[in-house]
Amino acid sequence: MDLRLENIGHSYGDMEVMQGMDLEIPAGKRVCSVGPSGCGKSTLLRLIGGLEQPTTGRVLQIGEPPAESLNPLTFVFQDFALLPWRTVEGNISLVLEDHGIRGKQADAIISDVLARTKLTEFRKALPKQLSGGMKQRVAISRALAVNPAVMLMDEPLSALDSQTRELLMDDLVSLWTREPFTAVYVTHNLHEAVRLGHFIVVLSRRPGRIREVVAVDKPLAERELGDADLEQTQKYLWNLMREEALAADKELINV
Amino acid sequence: MTKINRRQTIGLMAGVAASALIALPAQAKTKIKVGALRFTSHAASFVAFERGYFDDAGLDVEFVFFDAAQPMAIAVASGDVDYAVTAISGGLISLAEKGAAKVVGGALSEEKGIDGQKILVSDAAFKSGVTDPSKLDGRSFAITQAGSSFHYMGAKIAAKEGITLKFVPLQKTGAIIGAIKSGQVDAWSIVPHIAKPLAASGAVHIIGDVADYVDNYQVTTVFTSAGNAANEREQTQAFLTAFSRGAADFNAALVDKTAGDDGAEDMVKLVHKYVYADRPYEKAAPSIINGAMRINADAAMNVASIKDQLDWFKAEDLVKDSITYDTLVDGSYVKAK
Amino acid sequence: MSDSVQAKQTKPVAFRGGGFSPIHIKWVGLSVFVTLILVLEAGTRSGFISNLTMPRPSDVGWTFVELWTSGLLWKHVLPSVSRLLVGATLGASLGIGVGILIGLFSYIRAGLVPLISAIFPVPKIALLPLFVIWFGIDETSKYALIAFGTFTPTVVSTFGAVDNVDRSLIRMGQSFSLSWFSIVTKIVLPGAMPGILSGLRVSLAIAIILLVAAEMLGAEYGIGAYILQAGSLYDLERLFAGVVILSVMGVTVSAVIGFFEKRLLGWRS
Repeated sequence: MDLRLENIGHSYGDMEVMQGMDLEIPAGKRVCSVGPSGCGKSTLLRLIGGLEQPTTGRVLQIGEPPAESLNPLTFVFQDFALLPWRTVEGNISLVLEDHGIRGKQADAIISDVLARTKLTEFRKALPKQLSGGMKQRVAISRALAVNPAVMLMDEPLSALDSQTRELLMDDLVSLWTREPFTAVYVTHNLHEAVRLGHFIVVLSRRPGRIREVVAVDKPLAERELGDADLEQTQKYLWNLMREEALAADKELINV
Repeated sequence: MTKINRRQTIGLMAGVAASALIALPAQAKTKIKVGALRFTSHAASFVAFERGYFDDAGLDVEFVFFDAAQPMAIAVASGDVDYAVTAISGGLISLAEKGAAKVVGGALSEEKGIDGQKILVSDAAFKSGVTDPSKLDGRSFAITQAGSSFHYMGAKIAAKEGITLKFVPLQKTGAIIGAIKSGQVDAWSIVPHIAKPLAASGAVHIIGDVADYVDNYQVTTVFTSAGNAANEREQTQAFLTAFSRGAADFNAALVDKTAGDDGAEDMVKLVHKYVYADRPYEKAAPSIINGAMRINADAAMNVASIKDQLDWFKAEDLVKDSITYDTLVDGSYVKAK
Repeated sequence: MSDSVQAKQTKPVAFRGGGFSPIHIKWVGLSVFVTLILVLEAGTRSGFISNLTMPRPSDVGWTFVELWTSGLLWKHVLPSVSRLLVGATLGASLGIGVGILIGLFSYIRAGLVPLISAIFPVPKIALLPLFVIWFGIDETSKYALIAFGTFTPTVVSTFGAVDNVDRSLIRMGQSFSLSWFSIVTKIVLPGAMPGILSGLRVSLAIAIILLVAAEMLGAEYGIGAYILQAGSLYDLERLFAGVVILSVMGVTVSAVIGFFEKRLLGWRS
């Protein structure tokens, strides 16, 4: 299943946050979106995921999602969004219950996704007992449990410290290499973008427009911390964004 | 609480009283505070005040008005009020036990032949056959609070008829009137000036007189703080003397009716200044006349009645057993009846 | 350089942090209680505090013993507890129900919030005579008064609690296409539970306060009736004994809610 954005524009009241966006998200690719703060990166993700309606334009779903996908467009949120009153297991079963998946069948799915995110031994833990990195792993395993056609990741690593972030990034890479999935990954961190994206969509400051789409061809498994060519791309991206970020920073906040 | 200053009312006073005042030798008067309810039963104090009897006795009286007897008893105990008139209640006895209050004279009494407190039943109870106090067995009887004079009256009725009553505390007379009108309680006893208009409306029926059940019922008494009773004998005596003069005028005008029609009308007008002052005279007058019950001459006390009440309170475990008649009453001021 | 360091005065940096963070100290609360009671006991025994002002604590104790041995304690406590249970259960469950509806549906909110605001400040005691006419003088009017008194604060705290449920969790539920019913029962209600329970603490305390008012009319037995009677008899020992029983009820209710908070809200950090 591919996704296509046609002439997407969005306003909050009088304030236009986005205009004229066209973008293809082909199946099996990871699209990273970067841009200065306030450019509407997260709004874009919510528009794609159907949590908000665009003021103009439309988001199209091309082709049917795979039959085994319970929730084709699945989010991973920056703040994890775990129910604090449910255990790790309970948080995952939450999203299965509504599909009538209970008992042994649910157990099997939960065991599988927990194994894939190395959480097996924390199955009965409450969120308050987990570190930030662990919580985000729970959120990722919850997302994996519904077999998403497209994973919509909204700054998933931004609430974590830098070491945890590196570790979790490695985990994401190994998850993807074992079983590739389509993803739209929003971040303000260029390093994450070059490590994880097939394409990097650079947005301008508000009202957000697509400035450039940069492709990173190197296979995911071969990308490593401190790769010279990745550094090069990151520098290029930064130069693209620098002016925008500077201007965006000086804008009065009146949201 | 409303306070009426003596000086503010001077202008209203009758010429006779005013000239009597001027004739008095200039001497410092003792200031006292007298607690009162706006009931006809408190008229003796109002008469003594209006007709200058307190002045004659060398007292400068300031009235402090209350809504209920209970806070008035506490005000006497706390020293905010010097003298007051109220029914003998469990609260008053408890305060006497704590050495805070003392009964020094008698006021309102029931007397056979004179219209006194009535026994009422609701319309519903009356229609179901309660036409006589003896048929009240198992019925509910409204009281303000346990240990109130209503409770005592109900208990005396039950004892004499050999029946049981279910006492329902409703705190205020207003609540009782509502409850008996709507048939929520079956019976109650109350002073005639409240009983008669209620019966006239048809919502309740009068089925008997309290006087038939309680012999020589000493309904209210004059009381003061224990300190006043023991140490301010002159002032207390002066108060009782003036109070008795007021009572004598009141009895003559409205109870014995020996003062003639003019005398009665003067009395009603005087009382109307304090009681039902919010109603026009024509409407207030019948209520005042209906409410006239004898106030004991010379503030004498019906000792037997007071003893009976005290014994009942003790028997009901409403007050401590250790209280004696002498703890409650200082009998040295007035005659026993 | 080193010379000048030598010459200069050296001293440890003065500590200026500390304080402003409440710490748990055992026994102090209890000893304040005990001291107060001992002072009262000594004061009333020596006559420094007149028996008109305060009862002697030991006499209050004896009143309890009498209440216990005569069996009157339960005769007064049981009717009050049942009034409290029936009235508060009725009021609180209705209040939680209406509060949730207000929290979930904008039309119900628009219709009911002004009404609730209008009846919240009405002193329920003032309506007592009306309740007697509506519900009769027996138990029903007492239940109704307590229920009415607990209802309004429970509604307000409940819809406040629903409003305060983390919106990002609801958005998460929607992102997984959970049904409306699932979102309400699995996300909104558990999320509102802390607010609802802390609201219940207040509402149930109000229920205990109203117990005394409810027992003003037509109650022969009950702690409220007992206190009112003691007041009218100016019997300070019984008055204080009754007040202590009410306090114990308050502490018990608070402990019960504390128990439920521990059981239901163990997930809170």
